[in-house]
Amino acid sequence: MPAENLSAALDIEGVVPITSVQLDAMVVLKIVKHCRESAPSTVTGQLMGLDVNGVLEVTHSFPMPKTQDSEDYEAGSQYQLQMMRCLREVNVDDNSVGWYQSTNLGNFMNQSLIEHQFEFQQALSKSVLIIHDVARSSMGNLNLRALRLTPAFMKLYKEKKFTSETLAQSKLSFSNIFEELPITIRNSALLNALLFELESDESLEATASHLTTYNAANSQQQQRKTALSTNFDMLDLSMDPYIERNLEQVMDSIDDHTQEQGNYAYWQRSVERENKKKAAYLANRKAENARRQQAGQQPLPNEDVDSLFKLPAEPSRLDHLLITGQIDNYCKQINAFAGPTLSKLFAVGELQK
Amino acid sequence: MMDNTLHLALPAVHTVPNANAPVVAIAQPRAFTTTVNPLVFFNILDHYLRRNAGQDRVIGTLLGVRSEDGAEVEIKGCYPVPHLETKDQVEVDMDYHRTMFELHKQVNPKEVIVGWYATGAELNSYSALIHDFYQKEVSSFPAVHLTMDTALTNERLGVKTYIAAPVGITSRADNCMFVPMPCEVKYFNAERAGLDVLANAAKEQQQNPDQGPTTTTLLSDMDNLERAIMEVQKMLERVTEYVSKVLAGTEPANNTVGRYLMDTISVVPKIDAAEFEKMFNSHLQDMLMVVYLANMTRTQLAVAERLQKLL
Repeated sequence: MPAENLSAALDIEGVVPITSVQLDAMVVLKIVKHCRESAPSTVTGQLMGLDVNGVLEVTHSFPMPKTQDSEDYEAGSQYQLQMMRCLREVNVDDNSVGWYQSTNLGNFMNQSLIEHQFEFQQALSKSVLIIHDVARSSMGNLNLRALRLTPAFMKLYKEKKFTSETLAQSKLSFSNIFEELPITIRNSALLNALLFELESDESLEATASHLTTYNAANSQQQQRKTALSTNFDMLDLSMDPYIERNLEQVMDSIDDHTQEQGNYAYWQRSVERENKKKAAYLANRKAENARRQQAGQQPLPNEDVDSLFKLPAEPSRLDHLLITGQIDNYCKQINAFAGPTLSKLFAVGELQK
Repeated sequence: MMDNTLHLALPAVHTVPNANAPVVAIAQPRAFTTTVNPLVFFNILDHYLRRNAGQDRVIGTLLGVRSEDGAEVEIKGCYPVPHLETKDQVEVDMDYHRTMFELHKQVNPKEVIVGWYATGAELNSYSALIHDFYQKEVSSFPAVHLTMDTALTNERLGVKTYIAAPVGITSRADNCMFVPMPCEVKYFNAERAGLDVLANAAKEQQQNPDQGPTTTTLLSDMDNLERAIMEVQKMLERVTEYVSKVLAGTEPANNTVGRYLMDTISVVPKIDAAEFEKMFNSHLQDMLMVVYLANMTRTQLAVAERLQKLL
């Protein structure tokens, strides 16, 4: 590849925005393993790779140790540096491109996550956050999302100004805190070979030739789980636990939301009160001034009014924003779940007839 | 296989067999099984793809968990270790191995060193030396050696696991016999979902082979369901075809298959129609209700958003 092509592809100036994320198969499995083993607590890890022509290729990842407080932060970064040095030695791309976090039924919208991702995007403009939902993945369909904070949100977060006014100005709402990028997954040729081999496992044919009952063979298979045959987890009919947990979470966030609303209403009331007091004071002063003018006296100055009445600062709307985002997320999740479940229900209904 | 797993002593240029050091007592090979997480294979292949120019095999450390009675070793992870093989010497970067292990311990304190992996089907005299080192690392348990044939001889990635048994009158580092061990692949539901996606990518690649490296996108829940149902349909068709063939007498009946079918059919639960109707309706209503509520909440949020913009 000629030099100018290469530099254009690597985008040294950082002008090409990222449009999609490509994960290596190994990275997918690493994330899945790490998240599953430490579920239900949330864990994070680093992603490494390179961006080529707007596609962020993630080729490696490593888990991060759990941090309890900020004291561990130093140890964490030490760990990260050392790990990256080690990985460079074995020819791994040692270029940090983001991080991943596990989540349970999509409850990832919170302050610390936003802060973390903000720092990342501040330092590396092309970094992504991969969210892996353990609970949903174990239902038979891998659930990964690649997210980035939108520029508008980045700007507001930098200024730490989350008032209704600034939100309205920058047209920011819960639906555009994050932008979601499409994910593709890449297998190498050798990996394909491995996958086909896993699928065409001979051990199963061996059991079928013996005269065993279905149950015995079944229990044997349970123990082995060797062959990579088709996965029928998707056909599972038990939907109640999922819906139940999801609704619980929605209820929790709605509670939070109400509280946040209460805070906001309180603020509004106090602003109103102050405003009323101010207006009363001003009217008083005006009347007095008029009287003084009639009496031929100097009118009293009006400047001290603002210092007398301090309007309480508007509470940060960030929490509100996040909570609404979270609720929206849950609702979408329920809807997405409802579609297949309804069709499953009807399918079973037909089957019964 | 056995004839190239047996090795006689090499000239002791590269190891200093310390006569005073207590010889690590290798526990007599007890019957134990190894299970491997597929991630390990993926890792090894990735390491192999990233090897240095001119290097034809790579090695690394296997991490895993031993069950309490020692009857099962579960290999859960691994990391590469740089090494250099020349004609008469093998160098393994021990510092690297130690640092990596320390780092891994911070994240996964439960995983310990259980052995090592190498690519390539053959076991040579260096294998014995390296194995001896890892044997010391895992202390009293037998170390596991996993090989993966990345050159695809016999068109397979033959994954094999071995443990070493001492050979000869005097115990020496480079004297050992590799005994093949049973090895199984094991994964969990969540990982399974991931593997499925990857396997799909592989199948797509097979259908149109000139696409270059395989990429695939994630499926939605609905698509996934459709796939599963199609699969079931295909299987049912196959069974029906077989049964009708047997009934027509064109194919000899197989008792085993018959038993399987009987067992499968007996598993299908029989539910009273009225009972079913009740269950079906209540579930349906629940579901519709939840969807309705969810949509309502979303509408509320949308309205709130609009109001905010009006400010």
